[in-house]
Amino acid sequence: MATADESTGAWFGADGQVSQVRGLLFKAACLGATLLALFLVFVFLAYVATDAIEPLTADPAWWGAVAVTVLLPALGLAGYYYRYDPPAGEVAYTALGLPIAATLLAGGVGIVFRHIVSPHGWLALVVATAVAAGAIALHDRRRDAGALERAAVVTVVPLLALVGVPGLVPSLRELILSAPVLPMASLSLLGTFAAPIAAAVGWRIRRVRKSDRAGVIAGGATVVVAALGLVAAPLVGLSATSWIVLTTVVAVPVGLYVEQVLRRGDGVSGLAFPVAIAIGVAVCAAVVGVADLSGPTVWLDWEFLTTAHNRTPREAGIYPALVGSVMMIIVVAVAAFPVGVGAAIYLEEYAPTEGLPGSIVELIEINVANLAGVPSVVYGLLGLALFVNTAGLRPGIVVVGGLTVGLLILPIVIVSAQEAIQAVPDSQRQAAYGMGATRWQTVRTVVLPRAMPGILTGTILALGRAIGETAPLLMVGVAAVVRISPNSFFSLFSAMPRQIFAWARLAKPEFYHGVLAAGVLVLLVVLLMMNGTAILLRNKYQRHE
Amino acid sequence: MSNTPIDADLTRSAHGRIAKERLYHGLLFACAALTVLVTVSIIATLAIDAVDFFQRVAPVAFFTGTEWVLRSENPILGILPLVSATLVVTIVSALVAIPIGTAAAVYLSEYASDRMRSVLKPALEILAGIPTVVYGFFALVYLTPWLQQIGLDLSLFNLLSASIMVGIMIIPMVSSISEDAMSAVPDSLRQAGYGLGATKFEVSTKIVLPASISGIFSSYILALSRAIGETMIVVVAGGSRARMFDPSNPLANLFNSGQTMTAAMVQAVTTDLSGGTAGYYSMFAIGLTLFAITFTMNLLSNRIAARYREEYQ
Repeated sequence: MATADESTGAWFGADGQVSQVRGLLFKAACLGATLLALFLVFVFLAYVATDAIEPLTADPAWWGAVAVTVLLPALGLAGYYYRYDPPAGEVAYTALGLPIAATLLAGGVGIVFRHIVSPHGWLALVVATAVAAGAIALHDRRRDAGALERAAVVTVVPLLALVGVPGLVPSLRELILSAPVLPMASLSLLGTFAAPIAAAVGWRIRRVRKSDRAGVIAGGATVVVAALGLVAAPLVGLSATSWIVLTTVVAVPVGLYVEQVLRRGDGVSGLAFPVAIAIGVAVCAAVVGVADLSGPTVWLDWEFLTTAHNRTPREAGIYPALVGSVMMIIVVAVAAFPVGVGAAIYLEEYAPTEGLPGSIVELIEINVANLAGVPSVVYGLLGLALFVNTAGLRPGIVVVGGLTVGLLILPIVIVSAQEAIQAVPDSQRQAAYGMGATRWQTVRTVVLPRAMPGILTGTILALGRAIGETAPLLMVGVAAVVRISPNSFFSLFSAMPRQIFAWARLAKPEFYHGVLAAGVLVLLVVLLMMNGTAILLRNKYQRHE
Repeated sequence: MSNTPIDADLTRSAHGRIAKERLYHGLLFACAALTVLVTVSIIATLAIDAVDFFQRVAPVAFFTGTEWVLRSENPILGILPLVSATLVVTIVSALVAIPIGTAAAVYLSEYASDRMRSVLKPALEILAGIPTVVYGFFALVYLTPWLQQIGLDLSLFNLLSASIMVGIMIIPMVSSISEDAMSAVPDSLRQAGYGLGATKFEVSTKIVLPASISGIFSSYILALSRAIGETMIVVVAGGSRARMFDPSNPLANLFNSGQTMTAAMVQAVTTDLSGGTAGYYSMFAIGLTLFAITFTMNLLSNRIAARYREEYQ
């Protein structure tokens, strides 16, 4: 916030006779300092990218082909948008970034279905959860039961459905899994993963277009495209599972975005940008193939992403650490998100503000702010003492790492959720109370829906922090190198930053300027995508306020 | 809003509804109470194991010893070399981060156009999102060779490039909190300055900066506390040899490897020290010291920041 009126500065402030030189120098110094910090880090990033991709090893003609087919059209379009159609420019960057971010997410989901829960396990999980939810809802409708009975139903039914009693009663989930006939893996994924997403798509389209027909068409199209995979996937050389994941995780958000842009009719020409780049890439690949040009010998290639660590730099890969990071993030999110949001709701909506209880709550708030500043290495010690030495869990397993990092980001989640909840205008709460809603009903139907974008932004930023944390992982004994990807939440794992740290200890030039750079680049791409998404989300909702 | 009929609950017995409200109230309170539990367990676990440690090593020897040699048998555990290295890192990183961060905050708050700010602010935020192990890698693989090229006599692992990197890492923290403080200065103060014929430079340095000084100060303290607790940069780029600060040759401390408190904790847990030794327990004693220092600084920063918030609301 500078002056309210810029012209005041021009009238009295920047008067040439008084101290133009000093003022200008000061302004330049301030700008210079800002840019210096950014510039330094972007230079480092450029170095990393160069080391990981080694552009100089490519044929000059290869670079020529890339420049002509991909870079020039992209720059031309970008220039056009900048000059003549700024809204389209924004659409263009989102339309380019969204598929990339969605593909990364699809990779994560693919890892989940490959290593953590098989399609059949997922089927059993979804069916059991649905049955439990249905049973609870039915009980709630039919019987005006006392609080005790209801609490009993709410705890016992999900337990029976998902966990069972070890050794005595098998859970519904286990029963389904041991059924003699199960649908094919791809079919069960279609029914329990693609179908709910399709239903959500149909519901959303129905709401925004205010037409039942459009909703049915959108939902049906999603199912059909996903189901096509059973036939089409083998033809393109994919497994049916990958096809279903790709279509639902990548095609659905992209489709929704395109629909939104077309519906609003603002900056439609921006959609041409990713198309132009895709065509450029295809043409480039054809040209390179025909003319037999050799590209750069990149370190960061498919091989690197899908193999385990190796002593030979060229063979080393990051895959098990990638799987470990995905699994750890699941634990972190499951542990920190509900607790963090719950604590924030308590502090903002329920907590007393006066008297002795009020000052205790104030102490809790100061405590939360302070916890956010405790060094991560101390949280590592806490995790070691709490989960390993006291609870007796094995050091270095996914749950221990995830819970430790979850404790670390808990205060960050709480603080950002508090800010989001504070931003909900009080008048809306009063309106809800005025209609006779209870406090919890107000929170659930009025406050949380409005605050959710802000809460999600904060959570994504916190999860980004969690992915990059290394010191707590070192303290709880996460392995430097794991050659076999973890297959349960209780197996040993390594995570991307831990793997990078292990490589930094191998003082070989090929590791420093090749493998390490490639690993850093993977981590940075994931993080920048997450942070970028969070910042975009925040800007979008701030503007709409 | 959602389609759930709210009247459904109104037809129920009030008894069930109150019980439900109580249940949610209790659950949410438990979530908030968990944070207190975290603090208490941090203090408890650190303290219990630190007591264990001080039964093996006398506290006086620990806090006044000037030599730190970590090994399974007969370790020499004096924390001063670690403290001195931590101080060196903190001071150098402050020299980097405070001027740059403050200048960036002044620019963003007073000079930048909306368009400029909408680019620079997210860019600075992205700096804050880079993991520290990556910053450590930058320091070790790129910054140290650069500094060696411009003629500094650095060893491969050294505190100088580690501290510069820590400084770069904490710039966003200084700039964003300071900017918040400067933006909170009411516009009427600026207008009054312009009304008296002050230039923009004078308004920035003589009105806005002094008016927001407590917020700026609290950002410094917070950033320093972050620098003290920073681990991965100093572990990757700073080396692992604990050295006592030598006042007769300060540059040698910077140009050679050194070990901070956090780095010593990592070393204690990553080398093959067996569980029961004094060396292993030393990390809890260091952790407790570190926690006490940073917690105090954060508390102080909160207090100072609370002052400026009250003034202008």
